[in-house]
Amino acid sequence: MSWLSLHHRLERHTGLLIFGILLVSAIGGMVQLLPIVSEDTHGHGLPGSMLYSALELEGRDIYIRESCSTCHTQQIRPLLAEVKRYGPYSRAEEFVYDRPFLWGSKRTGPDLHRIGGRYSDVWHRLHLIDPRSVVPASIMPAYPWLATNAADHRGSIQARMRALAKLGHPYTAVDISGAPAGLEGKTELDAVIAYLQSMGRSNGGQAQP
Amino acid sequence: MTAGVYVAAELVWPTIDWGLPALSFGRLRTAHTTLVLFGFGVSALIGTAFYSVQRTSHVRLFAPGLAWAVFYAWQAAIVLGAVSILAGWNAGKEYAELEWPFDLAITAAWVGFAIVFFGTIAKRKVDAIYISNWFYGALIIVVAMLHIVNSLALPVTAGKSYSLFAGAQDAVVQWWYGHNAVGFLLTGGFLGMLYYFLPKQSEQPIWSYRLSIIAFWAFVYTYIWAGPHHLHYHAVPEWLQSLGMVMSLILLAPSWATLVNGIMTVSGAAGKLKTDPALKFIVLALAFYGLATFEGPMLAIKSVNVFSHFTEWTIGHVHSGALGWNALITFGTFYFLVPRLAGAPLYSARLANIHFWLALGGTILYALAMWGAGVSQGVLWLSLDELGEVRFSFNDVMAAMRPYYLLRFLAGLMFLAGAVLMAWNLARTVAGRRTILVAPPAIVGAGAPA
Amino acid sequence: MPARFSILQIGKVLFAPGEVFNAIAAESPSAGRVFFRGALWLGLLPPLFAYFGTMEFGWRLGVEPVYLPQETVLAICVIYFAALLIGFLSSAIIARWMAATYDASQSLGRCLALMAIVGAPLAVGSIVHLYPHVFLNVLVLVPVLIWCMYLLYRGLPVVLGTGPNRGMLMASALIAYLLVALVSLLGIMVALWGSGIGPRIGT
Repeated sequence: MSWLSLHHRLERHTGLLIFGILLVSAIGGMVQLLPIVSEDTHGHGLPGSMLYSALELEGRDIYIRESCSTCHTQQIRPLLAEVKRYGPYSRAEEFVYDRPFLWGSKRTGPDLHRIGGRYSDVWHRLHLIDPRSVVPASIMPAYPWLATNAADHRGSIQARMRALAKLGHPYTAVDISGAPAGLEGKTELDAVIAYLQSMGRSNGGQAQP
Repeated sequence: MTAGVYVAAELVWPTIDWGLPALSFGRLRTAHTTLVLFGFGVSALIGTAFYSVQRTSHVRLFAPGLAWAVFYAWQAAIVLGAVSILAGWNAGKEYAELEWPFDLAITAAWVGFAIVFFGTIAKRKVDAIYISNWFYGALIIVVAMLHIVNSLALPVTAGKSYSLFAGAQDAVVQWWYGHNAVGFLLTGGFLGMLYYFLPKQSEQPIWSYRLSIIAFWAFVYTYIWAGPHHLHYHAVPEWLQSLGMVMSLILLAPSWATLVNGIMTVSGAAGKLKTDPALKFIVLALAFYGLATFEGPMLAIKSVNVFSHFTEWTIGHVHSGALGWNALITFGTFYFLVPRLAGAPLYSARLANIHFWLALGGTILYALAMWGAGVSQGVLWLSLDELGEVRFSFNDVMAAMRPYYLLRFLAGLMFLAGAVLMAWNLARTVAGRRTILVAPPAIVGAGAPA
Repeated sequence: MPARFSILQIGKVLFAPGEVFNAIAAESPSAGRVFFRGALWLGLLPPLFAYFGTMEFGWRLGVEPVYLPQETVLAICVIYFAALLIGFLSSAIIARWMAATYDASQSLGRCLALMAIVGAPLAVGSIVHLYPHVFLNVLVLVPVLIWCMYLLYRGLPVVLGTGPNRGMLMASALIAYLLVALVSLLGIMVALWGSGIGPRIGT
């Protein structure tokens, strides 16, 4: 049957048309996704890679809540200028516990993948509460409410860690039971700073500069 | 669109969020993308699909009660969804930020959409399914597949879930979804709109039926492969990046086959162009469709992507497509449909003309401002000095972008002003009238559009 | 424009384009005349302004000015001129190619004359290249560009003798081509620079 006459049949039969579209559109996804998604990556973490502590996890979830990925990327490309500016380029193994991934698609602000340890906690505190107090030309929004909100004020940290454990993150029972204590007396600001300081600590498997 | 103009303003004057989380750039920009894609875009698509499927099938809608339910459910889901984003519910994946309760809600509404749409086609009185319905059909099927897979997550609380995929794997799934949301929602679905309303408005048949067939199937097949061009020089396999790039270039062919079909269809139009604003919008939308579907593959080339990735150029590309193609063809379609449904002429053709120039001017200004900004950013970020060190600090480059952000804000304001004029114009057109029901026409010939 | 099409008519082109369009439609100048007496000289303006501006002020992208060696600036301006020439000629040729579809005049001279007039505001507006600050150039040239688009819509039906409707459609098709050409230029430019063919910015 020629292609034209095949189409002739498809355009006269609703069910066949639906099936045809589904079949044709599924091919690309299967070829591109299956080999990558079916890999079990949890054995491939780099030493020191990043299972987030309870406080860091809370910070990460706040980062997601505030949509920080809208302006900040977490992906250093293997380009000379980029490596000079941000540090060793990002490797896949560093992201095995990133659910969801936060590579971002726009740099209104700088890349954050190796921000850990670059600035002091105090600097981050000042910067998050009012960016223009440390970077006068900054257009980043201010996040004063992070300092007044208690970390995990909804009390869901254990449920979250259990869910992640189900998805393969190696949290132990001790990690999970000790989580609320780890967040005791901390604000959302503390959590975000903890998360930021944790970023890039595996350094792509390379020694610290 | 108002949210878009507001966040554009926030990039110029960052303190206008007044310290309120709901107005904060991150949340508001996410609400903006959700509202324009799923509020404006999908509503336009479902509405025009429900209209044109009846006309082309020569029957009334299958399950009209369900169609109304889809309308209310969709509007509620998106409005409440946007509010939820402002309140801090965020799944963290681009153009899929709505959390799982909303994911389920929109899936249900989408299933309703599919039932009404395909049900209407199934009971059609003509033999062949008209081409616009293939594109709307592809929209429904492929977006469903993409959404379901990409949104797979483990719920923890009502407003929080964790993605089934992590890290680089998640990236690959996300951009399979993300690129094809653009492909099948913003491109495919709106091509369905084009294939119905362009021949209708210009009173010309589609130029080449055979070209339509080839273009359609090539489009459905090829678009899916282009996702990895969002991941050039990222921590994903080299083969995947190259494959995405090559397929993106091949995609130029079916995209432009459709463009040629559209241009040639309308080229034979005579008569009411001067007096009819709708066709002006649709014709210029075609021009921007050509631009966007050319620029896309070009940006997918790795050596161009090195400069453009993460910059304002990408934003310029998005908006030349979203404003120039999607919004413009929607405006044209509204100017065509609303007077028809109201049984009255458009309230003011002059206002529609002003709208046209505001929309065109706004789009051009937006695109050019972002091209200027984006190329500057790309070049400056990658510049090294004589010692091989980074020449310009990030902050300096960011500060240099401010004038462009101001221009972009003005462009958005122009575009929004035009849209407001249209809303007023259409409101005056329908004022005091009831929707007329136009009986499906008698069948004139096999496969001819209604 | 009673007797000739030439750059000396630039004033009329900018301030009374309607007259110019009518005159061309009546006179139907030859391609050679349009090019050598008008378009060529208009096309030289932007690279000339760019040369002097860049040598004096350097490229200003919003940070410190980037000064380039003279050979580089000269090379860039020559390539700029070549790009303008290619753009101008290709637009006219494409218009002529489209003419059959839209029942338009197939005279190359007319097509060149139309594109020359449409491009004239850009050529004159390129005086802003004397201060090569990217943002300033965008600010000035975008409204100029929109004015050029307006001239295209207004002039095409007259110069190429289509009806108003066909003229509008053909003009839109040409705009599609021009947008694509513009963005191709951007892409080719950055791709070349990334491969090392271009000013040394150290990428």
